[in-house]
Amino acid sequence: MEFRSPTVWLRLMHEALPVAEAVSFLQTPEAGGLALFLGTTRRWTDDRETLSLFYEAYEPMALAEMGRLSDEALRRWPVRRLCLWHRLGDVPAGEISVLVGVATPHRAEAFETCRFLIDTLKRQVPIWKRETLSDGQRVWVEEGIPEAKQP
Amino acid sequence: MSNSNTPQVRLRVLLFSTLRERLGSSVLEVAVPAPATGSRLLDQLAAQHPAIAAYRPVIRLAVNQEYVPESIELHEDDEIALITPVSGG
Repeated sequence: MEFRSPTVWLRLMHEALPVAEAVSFLQTPEAGGLALFLGTTRRWTDDRETLSLFYEAYEPMALAEMGRLSDEALRRWPVRRLCLWHRLGDVPAGEISVLVGVATPHRAEAFETCRFLIDTLKRQVPIWKRETLSDGQRVWVEEGIPEAKQP
Repeated sequence: MSNSNTPQVRLRVLLFSTLRERLGSSVLEVAVPAPATGSRLLDQLAAQHPAIAAYRPVIRLAVNQEYVPESIELHEDDEIALITPVSGG
């Protein structure tokens, strides 16, 4: 699923995120700074090894929510181009799962907008990840919900 | 609770991730006595399904692809979803 306008490109993709495509979309002579954040799937969390992650989304709402985040970013900062992309399905450890790119006239607001988008995406957008660990266990990532462990 | 004279509102509720797996279904059909508020729906589902009861304090309700407060009144053609804490990124 995706939404694309001359300034905003939102995507939910079931294959590898094409980073070079994002960079060429983000480049514009109106911007003097381009911040790009790539989130990658981490193999080691303390002494626990993750082989792969599986991302599930409530896709139409995820895209709508990404649109609301992007609208808010456009209201608060002088954004000239914005990319918010998330990969879904199986993602092997070490690959890119999320891409946030922002182009603004000056670098400070590019960093700020990028930070706002990734932090808010992680709290608001209905996407869930399930880890497959090296011992074969498959667990949904549920930080801070101790009372909801598997019975 | 309801009696035979209380109109029932028939709702479809979408489930994802851990709730979908624990309940073995991606959609629940449920009848809730009118007025079918979000909190009445969640209380009823929690009473029927222990997995939903376990997550009740952290579930956010979405209606028509937007987060809403539990005080909202639900209608038969609404697209309703239970959103457990998200973990994208």
